[in-house]
Amino acid sequence: MANDRRAPNARASAATGNGLKLVLAWGFVGIPLAWGVIQTLVNAIKAFH
Amino acid sequence: MAFAFLTRYRTVAAPGYSRWLIPPAALCVHLCIGQAYAFSVFNLPMTKLIGITQSAPDDWKLTELGWIFSIAIFFLGASAAVFGRWVEEGGPRRAMFASALCWAGGFFLSALGVYLHKLWIIYLGYGVLGGIGLGLGYISPVSTLIRWFPDRPGMATGMAIMGFGGGAFIASPLSVWLMSQFSTPTHVGVGETFIVMGLIYLCFMMVGAAIVRLPPPGWAPAGYVPPVRSSKLVTTQNVFVYQALKTPQFWLIWWVLCLNVTAGIGVLGQASAMSQEMFKGQITAVAASGLVGLFSLFNMGGRFAWSSISDYLGRKNTYFVFFALGTVLYALVPHSGTIGSVALFVFCYAVIFSMYGGGFATVPAYLRDIFGTRYVGAIHGLLLTAWSMAGIFGPVLVNYIREYNITHGVAPAQAYNITMYVMAGLLVIGFICNAFVRAVDPRHYLKETERGGVAPAAAPAGE
Repeated sequence: MANDRRAPNARASAATGNGLKLVLAWGFVGIPLAWGVIQTLVNAIKAFH
Repeated sequence: MAFAFLTRYRTVAAPGYSRWLIPPAALCVHLCIGQAYAFSVFNLPMTKLIGITQSAPDDWKLTELGWIFSIAIFFLGASAAVFGRWVEEGGPRRAMFASALCWAGGFFLSALGVYLHKLWIIYLGYGVLGGIGLGLGYISPVSTLIRWFPDRPGMATGMAIMGFGGGAFIASPLSVWLMSQFSTPTHVGVGETFIVMGLIYLCFMMVGAAIVRLPPPGWAPAGYVPPVRSSKLVTTQNVFVYQALKTPQFWLIWWVLCLNVTAGIGVLGQASAMSQEMFKGQITAVAASGLVGLFSLFNMGGRFAWSSISDYLGRKNTYFVFFALGTVLYALVPHSGTIGSVALFVFCYAVIFSMYGGGFATVPAYLRDIFGTRYVGAIHGLLLTAWSMAGIFGPVLVNYIREYNITHGVAPAQAYNITMYVMAGLLVIGFICNAFVRAVDPRHYLKETERGGVAPAAAPAGE
């Protein structure tokens, strides 16, 4: 954050925690979405064949 | 207070909270409510709840079932308009929480309707309650994302609204799979599927409500310097939600959205039939269904791509591209049929669908530019009535013109030509409306004393 005035150690640990949260959060929404998109593409390809 | 965690000040982010956690929170909601686009997978099974293998006389008709989706979309627009201010002032978590309860509750009530075989319960469940969940869920993350991404508001809202387009990709195969698991030789399995989907969506949306945060007052992304003065079409001021209704800008953007969606939605439902009739012998029914899937991907991708581009191109210019390019492409579709070019047809349709989705995703940022950040969610809610209107106009217009042509002896392959030219004409009107959009008259801006903060100053940091 631009106006974060905490100690460097606290900032580093927050950054690590954020990294894990980001992976989990994006995985939580990204995996089902990717699965749906792949299903649609597979069906579209099947239809063309 | 039992629900204190839903309050606005409890939603304010602690220092160090990453803004990149907000788009997944928004996607948790939009991916779920995007199921609405896939509701049609239930239509056919619901016509066989009694007859199982084929419709019995007491089974519901497709025409009766079609109303479920229509009611839901109507209540999407209505609830977004009515509850917009409530959403804006209560914060995103309360709205997402309410949206999750309504959306999942709609599924549970519909399961009861299937169990008792009472269609009015499904109208009330999925249509009314679910529709309110749709409206609340659709607008709730928009202003939050805009506040976290003042440097790229188009991209941020595009990510969420892309989720609404993508929700159907998950819901459609999931619904079919669940129905296959619950069906027996004497039972279709729709009710159980509704219950399971309601539970999945409830959990998924609650995760979104838990993750979502508002930025602390005065927060700005690293390196971002907010403009001191309003530029020509991007204001630093705010317009109160109901004051926006008194400005010509609101109604011009209302027509911009309505015309863009009318043209898109009109041909959206006809894509399969149109491709088969225009290219008889070249495109089969199965290939047409594959094409529709492909176009849906462009619809989803366009939401993210065009709204992100609008951050660089400007909102007004992006809509100019939609209307100018759209007019050319709609007019080219009949030509593709005349010369028998499937490739040209697919290209035109793919870009048209990307711009249809792009129109939805770019409009929140357009509203933010014109009316400011403070009430953008509520104003967006009011604007969604344009969607409800387009949802009626578009399909009716296309079906009526086609029917008129067929009854007047026009061959089916050519019956869509007039439709496409009419749609191109609508886009020309949209272009003109967009051209008239100017900055809001300063007398509409909120005065300093009227302005509320993003959160009360006494909000406990990091809570």
